[in-house]
Amino acid sequence: MPDTYFYRYDDYDRTLVSERVDQFRDQVRRRLAGELTEEQFKPLRLTNGLYLQLHAYMLRVAIPYGTLSSRQLRKLADISRKYDRGYGHFTTRQNLQLNWIKLEDAPDALAALAEVDMHALQTSGNCIRNVTADHFAGAAADEIEDPRIWAEIVRQWSTLHPEFTFLPRKFKIAITGSPNDRAAVRVHDIGLRLWRNEQGEVGFEVIVGGGLGRTPMIGKTLREFLPKNELLAYLEATLRVYNRYGRRDNLYKARIKILVHEVGVEKMRADVEAEYAETRDGLLGLSDETIEAISQQFAPPDLPPRSNLAGAVEALRLEDRDFALWLKSNVAPHRVKGYAIVTASLKPAGAPPGDASAVQMEGVADIADAYSQGELRVSHEQNLIFPHVAIEDLPAVYAALGRLGFAEANVGKITDIIACPGLDYCALANARSIPVAQRISSHFAGLARQHDIGDLKIKISGCINACGHHHVGHIGILGVDKNGVELYQISLGGDVDFGKTALGTILGPAVTADKVVEAVDSLVTTYLDSRGDGERFVDTFRRIGAEPFKDRMYAAL
Amino acid sequence: MAKNLSGDLQVASANRLSDGVVVWLDDAGDWTSRLDRAAIARDKRTGEILLLRAQAEAFAVIDPFLVAVTEDDDGTIEPLSLREKIRASGLTFDVIAADAVRYA
Repeated sequence: MPDTYFYRYDDYDRTLVSERVDQFRDQVRRRLAGELTEEQFKPLRLTNGLYLQLHAYMLRVAIPYGTLSSRQLRKLADISRKYDRGYGHFTTRQNLQLNWIKLEDAPDALAALAEVDMHALQTSGNCIRNVTADHFAGAAADEIEDPRIWAEIVRQWSTLHPEFTFLPRKFKIAITGSPNDRAAVRVHDIGLRLWRNEQGEVGFEVIVGGGLGRTPMIGKTLREFLPKNELLAYLEATLRVYNRYGRRDNLYKARIKILVHEVGVEKMRADVEAEYAETRDGLLGLSDETIEAISQQFAPPDLPPRSNLAGAVEALRLEDRDFALWLKSNVAPHRVKGYAIVTASLKPAGAPPGDASAVQMEGVADIADAYSQGELRVSHEQNLIFPHVAIEDLPAVYAALGRLGFAEANVGKITDIIACPGLDYCALANARSIPVAQRISSHFAGLARQHDIGDLKIKISGCINACGHHHVGHIGILGVDKNGVELYQISLGGDVDFGKTALGTILGPAVTADKVVEAVDSLVTTYLDSRGDGERFVDTFRRIGAEPFKDRMYAAL
Repeated sequence: MAKNLSGDLQVASANRLSDGVVVWLDDAGDWTSRLDRAAIARDKRTGEILLLRAQAEAFAVIDPFLVAVTEDDDGTIEPLSLREKIRASGLTFDVIAADAVRYA
């Protein structure tokens, strides 16, 4: 059995990462010795994922396409304990942030990461960032192809790509291999959707110009169907057009979404296709051998088919109501009979969303080894996934997660809140996010009520940069600063489900921090009083519009 | 009772180079992690001088800047803005401990 069922570094990868650690160690030494100014050093540390936040340095560790082995997660726990404060924060870009790293320790932390084939490269700066993918990749019942194969190919192409290291602005790519988009591909600079055409061929829909932040936009289709072996050449052509015409004169207009919006997708397409015509027969065509070699690294584990019915599962389901709810919300269909995908909720009631202690990380790694082939995924919704769990093992996994505090049956529910670090940590934030999430989570903690409310995604950002994806929350909450007071702007109707990707509608004036829970409660009550059969919160919103929600919310405050 | 809410009172702050910890410049020209030991500039001109002094002492810190503060009758100083209050006091929620499996 291989160590992992995903990409393993070769000598080239290891040498590259190791050399970067050595370079950074020398750069840190020179900075601490006063040989480099902060102005000289800042871009060097950011290139290595080291930010300066309000209270300390923060190291953003790349988790490529959200895939982790148990060994890697144990190392992250070890690093958090040795060089940080013993916990980490899983982010909306499937990465891990360590919030209390000392500059003098950062090279050692990076060296420790390199021991398990990890790094923090390209987690900052105007380059192609860590590529994200469906967190059910390689396991989902609805998957056409494993998107991680292509995410890895893009990773290899984009890592330290000299032409795209100084783009007009940062650049984020997301890939899904399923018709049910779980990777939010329409709100990325480039979204790639694998699909099968009428001829039975699998290729990519290339979506460009999506994004959140100050100017949220839904991506537009640049190419309806791109043969898979043309992916890198086409991406290179697209990045080249962006690099040439992207707005470098204005930070707020520098993302590709602004370029696409300003010139129109037809002009963008024409320019990309013209560039592509010049370069398509170059070095970037992917041979079948190359694709096959990468594909083999993601060969699925040997999972002998089993029965979908397990007596112990049925017995526990009947006697334990919380387990029954957990089966409904935290367990998803697997492509192999007798297996399931399990989501460990990093959102226990009242907890900071996405945080895990070192002991919890180690516990999750142990569960992955015992029940999920040693594999894990990080979701952009800040949870951890066990991709390959035998159905008969579900009671054991549930019990083990319960001991870690990660068995909350709330995935997709009102307390499964996405929240950015906000003003408690972030130098860019205007308002706090985590305490708001905690209060909402505590208020709606009862599982029966959560399941009665049904699927409802709350997303909270502490500033307009929208790391908490508030624009696409069924209920979006944006923290703003008005004359030194934290206020929260509430929007409704955002979504990222494929085909229904929508940006939320702002309800009206922002509310004070102490009124946010009441506001959300009144929105939920409006929904419960108005919903039709089978309607989720967002469905009801689409049917009846904003007014009933708005009227009731402001009357309640 | 707080006074000088107009922001006339200022202290110089920065993050320590070696670990990023929030520090303030004291009367002796040293950087301290204790806000109560910070040197206070009581008017605009003194503030400008305090900032110049902080910049001159910036070998072991990053990007010094002035922070508007209030001062109580007992001499306790507190930043005016929420951002600086959080920088001075730390996180506004409890984080999970390294060996914890339950959020407190």
